[in-house]
Amino acid sequence: MTTPATTTATSSIANEIQKQVSEKRPFSLSRFLKDRRFLYCVSLTAFFGIWKYIDYTQVLGNGIAAPDAVVAQIWKLANKTIAGKSLWGHIWASTYRIIIGFSIAAVIAVPLGVIMALNRYVNAIVKPVFDLIKPMPPFAWISCAILWFGIDEPSKIFIIVVGTFVPCLLNAYMGIRLIEPQLYDVIRMLGGNRKDEILQVGFPAAFPAIFAGLQISLSCAWTCVLSAELVSARSGLGFIIIQGMQLSRPAMVLAGMVVLAFVAWATTLLITGLEKKLCPWKREAVQM
Amino acid sequence: MAYETVKVDTPLVLRILPVASVVAFFGIWQGVVDFGIVPNTMLASPTQVAVLFWEKLFVADPDGAVLSVHAWVSIQEAFTGFFLSLLVGIPLGLMMGWFNVAEGLARPIFELIRPIPPVAWIPLTIFWFGIGIPGKVFIIWLSGIVPCVINSYVGVRMTSPTLIQMARTYGATDWEIFKKICIPSALPMVFGAMTISQAYCWTTLVGAEYLAADQGLGYLITMGRRLASPPMVVLGMICVGLTGVAIGIVIERLEKKLLAGIRR
Amino acid sequence: METSQEYKIDCQHISKTFVQKGTQRVHVLEDISVNVKNNEFLVILGPGQSGKSTLLRIIAGLETPSEGNVYLDGKEVSGPGADRGLVFQSYMLFPWKTVLGNVELGPKLRGISKNERREVAQHYIDLVGLKGFENHYPHQLSGGMKQRVGIARAYSNNPELMLLDEPFGQLDAQTRYFMEKETARIWETEKRTVLFVTNNIEEAIFLGDRILSLQGKLPGRMHAMYEVHLPRPREHTEMKFLELRQKITDASELTL
Repeated sequence: MTTPATTTATSSIANEIQKQVSEKRPFSLSRFLKDRRFLYCVSLTAFFGIWKYIDYTQVLGNGIAAPDAVVAQIWKLANKTIAGKSLWGHIWASTYRIIIGFSIAAVIAVPLGVIMALNRYVNAIVKPVFDLIKPMPPFAWISCAILWFGIDEPSKIFIIVVGTFVPCLLNAYMGIRLIEPQLYDVIRMLGGNRKDEILQVGFPAAFPAIFAGLQISLSCAWTCVLSAELVSARSGLGFIIIQGMQLSRPAMVLAGMVVLAFVAWATTLLITGLEKKLCPWKREAVQM
Repeated sequence: MAYETVKVDTPLVLRILPVASVVAFFGIWQGVVDFGIVPNTMLASPTQVAVLFWEKLFVADPDGAVLSVHAWVSIQEAFTGFFLSLLVGIPLGLMMGWFNVAEGLARPIFELIRPIPPVAWIPLTIFWFGIGIPGKVFIIWLSGIVPCVINSYVGVRMTSPTLIQMARTYGATDWEIFKKICIPSALPMVFGAMTISQAYCWTTLVGAEYLAADQGLGYLITMGRRLASPPMVVLGMICVGLTGVAIGIVIERLEKKLLAGIRR
Repeated sequence: METSQEYKIDCQHISKTFVQKGTQRVHVLEDISVNVKNNEFLVILGPGQSGKSTLLRIIAGLETPSEGNVYLDGKEVSGPGADRGLVFQSYMLFPWKTVLGNVELGPKLRGISKNERREVAQHYIDLVGLKGFENHYPHQLSGGMKQRVGIARAYSNNPELMLLDEPFGQLDAQTRYFMEKETARIWETEKRTVLFVTNNIEEAIFLGDRILSLQGKLPGRMHAMYEVHLPRPREHTEMKFLELRQKITDASELTL
């Protein structure tokens, strides 16, 4: 047994050795060239440089806009309105659709997945139908959605619900199914009943998987909302992109894409942070 | 003998329920349309779809091609994009996992592009390639490459450090370790990427064909909507689903075969 | 069937057959009859794959025997219950609960008030020597500390019978030796009837009042019963300890 006192002592010694070593390292050119921050700078400079150069040489004709033109376009979009909405309005229009569609899907799919995993009769009834519907890409539903709901908000929300439903349900189902069965034994040995097994083991143990499902769903939701908006919309980031295409203005298309990437990235960051807060017991895995 | 093989039956109810559920699904679907609960302009019944399926095998009108041509075009595009993404994504991911320089150079660009849904590239590719096959292949390639890179990267990163240290004590160079230890140990993850990547490719393909195409299964769905023909929409959806499942099964078989070779 | 009240546990002619992976039938236990007196420390000794864990799980009520019956205080065991505490080989702590949360779970499930169960949990956390770690999560603890939590969790329900399933199998030799001493100490402090499953002969002699050894292949059969008449606390280097160890080693080699 290691007592806490000795562990801290040894680790602090290790830290000291580490520090000394790193301080003693002399500057060398090869190490500087292999430094990650330096490489990141090189990479980004090259990326934007080539982008600018492609625009400059007109290899792609008028099919591309230089990075500075895109930034200028974003600035312009932020300060004036398109189709009655500012850039913030369009961002909110897309986000709002995602929030509604995503919530509907999560509220139905997660409990359904949990119940399917816990009750084999429900599973036997729902799973075959789910397996029939699962392989349809969300995009394939757009036509149906338009036939059923017209081209207004409901059809876009429907697409998001359909697209996020599958990963939500699958992850909830697998999360419950992959629980170590002996954890249930612990509850039974401590005198718990079936309800305690589900409340004390089922939900908390499946929580990381359910959450992972929500994360996947969220990135699906962005694809879905964009697809729906590309097909028909009067607002949203997809609308900006498609407007740019119809007006043959690549700067506007790229501006839409950059803003979209940023917002999608921010939502992902938000939900990752939320996960860290909600399940502090989850250990780090190799991720990218 | 302590071990003996027996056959255990699943309860009868559990064998009947799935069949009953699928039959009920189609029954309700047929009923809902036949009795006019949902108007025929919004949904086609299974029998209507089946009839149209038979017709579309031989008749090119009104959308310009028979079903097999649509399917063949879609499969061609999907596989071209898929193989190109494997070809680029896997080596890139493997290199990024092992070589600091490769990661330092590729990572920022990858992170910049990753959050953009592949569908968002459609307008740009129309500027660049028109609505022909290259544009669609490009978009499919973009969507397929992300899981390839991520899985290969993680696969290399998960290589047991003990194995690497062992190789170092025997005097192996970085390149040898990469070749002889990191790649083989990453292979299960890499093959896992194939399944994910294929699914992404197929999903994106429908999107790409939706916006820019004159042939393909996604185009069939769009035409169905434009012609206000629910049977064609449903037929297109079913074909997309079935073809996707078929490709998925093929890839999974392939993956199992390749993995069995490694484990041996 | 009749059973005597004087035994805490009475197993009569237990056999067990499993169906594995849907198609494979495995015969695990064959005609085991054993009884345990009140406050006795019985060790079930056997090599891997001898069905000893299954026997423990049957007594715990987590598995039903294919043949035979288990009686606890003269009543037939029909399912798991709070009157028995089980400690698992792979700890089986709840990773989302702190040490305190894990230990107080038993009383919590029985509906005991917060203050009271905190008190009970604290008592057993102190007993197993984890004072100061109440708010740590299991992944922050070493293997030995995790198993201390496992033991405290089983004790906190105040069970009449403690079942330990190779509890120290995943620990390194030194920690294991230390934990054996701790187990003996805890048992001396709070006497319980204990069933302890192990594959380690020294551990068996160090802890047990009696040792039931099983044959080394499936199906598991009773091989021998040894009585350990050594004063506690025991020493691994005592002459009598070593003699008994030699005796058991010789006997079990014959069965392999």
